Amino acid sequence: MMEHNTDDDDRSDRDRTRPSSRRGFLAASSTLAASALAGCTDMLPGGGGETSGSELSVGDFRGSGPLVEQRSAPEGTSIDDLPDLSGELTMYLGGGESGLYLDLIDLLEQIYPDFDVSPQQDSASNLANRISVENNAGNTPADVFMAVDAGALGSVAQDGNAASMSSEVTDPVRDAFKDSEGRWVGFAGRARAIPYNTNELSASDVPSTVAAFPETSAFGDSFGWAPSYSAFQSFVTAMRVIEDDETTRQWLQSMQDLGVTTYDNEFAVSNRVADGEISAGFANHYYSLRVQSDRSSAPIDLAFTEGDAGALVNVSGAQILDGTENKELAENFLRHVLSAEAQEFFATRTYAYPMISGVEPVGGLPTIDELNPPDIDLGELSDLGGTVDMLREVGVL
Amino acid sequence: MATGDRDRVAEQSQGATTERSASRVLSGVAVAITLLVLSPLAWLVLRAGEMDTARAIELLTSQTTIEVTANTIVLVGSVTLLSALVGVPLAILTVQTDLPFRRFWTVTSALPLVVPSYIGAFAFVSAFGPQGHLSDLLAPLGVEQIPAIYGLPGATLVLTLFTYPYIFLTTRAALLSFDGTIVEAARSLNHTRWEAFKRVTLPQILPGIAGGGLLVALYTLGDFGTPSIMKYDVFTRMIFNEFGARRIDYAAVLSWLLLAMAVVVLAIESRIEAGRDGAYVSRGARRPGEIKLGVWKLPATLFCGAIATLGLALPIAILLQWLVRGGVGYSDAGRPFQLGFAWNSLTVAAAAAAVSVVVALPLAYLAARGDSRVSSLPDRLSYVGYAVPGVVLGLALVFLSLKYVPFVYNTVFLLVFAYVVRFMPQAVGTTKSSLLQVDPSYVEAARSLGYPPLTAFRKVVLPLVAPGIAAGGALVFLTTMKELPATLMLRPLGFETFVTYIWRVQESGYYGQAAVPALVLVVVSGLSMLVILGREQQNGA
Repeated sequence: MMEHNTDDDDRSDRDRTRPSSRRGFLAASSTLAASALAGCTDMLPGGGGETSGSELSVGDFRGSGPLVEQRSAPEGTSIDDLPDLSGELTMYLGGGESGLYLDLIDLLEQIYPDFDVSPQQDSASNLANRISVENNAGNTPADVFMAVDAGALGSVAQDGNAASMSSEVTDPVRDAFKDSEGRWVGFAGRARAIPYNTNELSASDVPSTVAAFPETSAFGDSFGWAPSYSAFQSFVTAMRVIEDDETTRQWLQSMQDLGVTTYDNEFAVSNRVADGEISAGFANHYYSLRVQSDRSSAPIDLAFTEGDAGALVNVSGAQILDGTENKELAENFLRHVLSAEAQEFFATRTYAYPMISGVEPVGGLPTIDELNPPDIDLGELSDLGGTVDMLREVGVL
Repeated sequence: MATGDRDRVAEQSQGATTERSASRVLSGVAVAITLLVLSPLAWLVLRAGEMDTARAIELLTSQTTIEVTANTIVLVGSVTLLSALVGVPLAILTVQTDLPFRRFWTVTSALPLVVPSYIGAFAFVSAFGPQGHLSDLLAPLGVEQIPAIYGLPGATLVLTLFTYPYIFLTTRAALLSFDGTIVEAARSLNHTRWEAFKRVTLPQILPGIAGGGLLVALYTLGDFGTPSIMKYDVFTRMIFNEFGARRIDYAAVLSWLLLAMAVVVLAIESRIEAGRDGAYVSRGARRPGEIKLGVWKLPATLFCGAIATLGLALPIAILLQWLVRGGVGYSDAGRPFQLGFAWNSLTVAAAAAAVSVVVALPLAYLAARGDSRVSSLPDRLSYVGYAVPGVVLGLALVFLSLKYVPFVYNTVFLLVFAYVVRFMPQAVGTTKSSLLQVDPSYVEAARSLGYPPLTAFRKVVLPLVAPGIAAGGALVFLTTMKELPATLMLRPLGFETFVTYIWRVQESGYYGQAAVPALVLVVVSGLSMLVILGREQQNGA
């Protein structure tokens, strides 16, 4: 959905008070000029081997713009410390945003001339369905599946179509963001958040649990969601797991009674919040950063709930598909995806939460440790069907 | 009996035999093509069969399914009706009246067909949505709220604006080819213009209107993008949600219901067409007298202008705005657009168009020349593929190709096959209508000169129907250029086209980068539209 060129006058008198308990997180930036990457372009030592291609620096992996201010160099396993990539991989990339992953793949192909990826892009659920249908008919040609939604990876794993990875690959990632049997691993985090319009509300107006939302009069006829979006459905599924079906159904019903507006996707929700069409909504955190990056004076900030389904942190992740003949190369590739440089890429170009401890999130976002996500295994969020049924029953979908 | 006579008799009986075997071959070919086109349905049977019967019945009779079915019927009905109310007057204005700048309005009235409806829907929301440009313009005037664009009205409006050209084009073709002398005769019997239209013109052009209406209705039935942007709950959205929840069997069961609706639409259209007496429509030797618009000249021009503004100028203006606003830099949205993507689009679309017209010929010939209901069955059945949502078709072909012909998997051949399955009916329609305008006595004359059937067809029929075939090819070409879901699923690895690129950058919200390829797509498609209109030149428009 489009946003419009509303020349909202820059309200310098915005309420910047931040109660320590419920603070807004996005630093308003005054300019879209690409920040110079002074001091953080330390060249990586070249691999030294004859096979290594062009030498790239952290700066090549890092994004630019107002949200990527002076950052310290990423820490973690550097690409230099990993074995060279060499050979061909067929890769399914799920979700439109995965177009950005192509840039990372291009960088890796530059470093390793002998490394070659054949990508196929579609929505994450289409590709999960496709892998299932391909295996019904024969064998999927894909070696690796990268998706913007762990649910799609989980369903492929449940169908028995994913191989287990060695701990060497998955070790840097905390348990909450990977499959216990190593059948998928997260590489970029996406936190559920509440974007709100700072002209309409202040951070303290947003309750700390979604259970209190239906009683929040400020949200009445002025709240948005995108129920057909997989991340929203994962959130509802999490609520069903944490609470129970009846509670979830009632909550959905009372949100309906509150007068929620339905949008096509959460970028639209975030843009409409910035426009003031709604005062708040449900969306993944990075959409608001994107809105800010596009429109630096947009009156939008993020609030997070605490310890409930609304605070779920989901991941973009990857898995190696069963029956691949390139398992070793695929594992090595995923180690590259979890390297310091690649994590810096995800943090600064897609505004995602890095999955390794040595890299910080951008733009004044709280770290994962500061967030208070529910204690839940992402693998438990596989019953999307039940959630879709419920959303339909209540008339949300 | 003289020897010469005997020879002639022998020749004639031999001729009859070739005639019979030729039509048998033709029927065989048509049946084979139909089976191939319907093959994806085999997968749907398989998947739907995996679902527990009780559960399937529960799903099909659920409150939601019933409501969504009703919504879908209302949308298909209103879009088809409204498209006729826009398309038929435009066709009459541009063919039969003294409207100023007729050629210009002909082009603008046809062009909205080249705008992908998902782009059209975006344009409408950003222009007329709450917080859109219109409300921004009206806000200083104290207008607090404009009527909501979302829901049934918005979905109907957008789909109508971007599909009415089907009816416009088919109706124009019918108007251009019917015999004006009949109207003159009716007028000389003291009928008013309106009565003459009702009693003479309308029955003659009704099959044309119905043919276009069929394409509009089936397109609306299978479209997902517009209703979803307009927040109107229809069947395709329910199917899409099931795929999203990874319940392929549910989606398959629901797809059957969608196909059942498509069959109902086809049956209705058949009825209308059956009302026509005789297969042969005489080709107008002369045009009926031009209708003088008089005081209606200005309103008529305004009507053409309003439709062109909404269906063509508005989406292009929005695309230009995306371009100017640009948004974030290229480095932020993945690989930038390359000319190679355009080349890919053009080549697969051209291949799909070429294959479609070849495949459509036998079906159309049978339907036009056949003397029984059975002979038009292949033509009817081939339309089913047009109503199948692209995602369903894509998964079906993934399964069938990998299982039975793995060497075509992930190749351009499979992609082109999918396009042919989806869009070939458009070529069948135009080819059939031009075949109906060929006087069968020409063929008989050629046969009596001793030409074998195929040669007679090549020398006599083909030159006459070539414009119709070209128009069919152009329709297939430009709908292929716009097609998204099957393209995403079936393209070869790393194969990008206009639409896959536009999908990617739009999906991740980088509209600025969708602008150039979308504009180029509209321009290139617009050029192929000129082929369709060029065909009319030969008809003496």
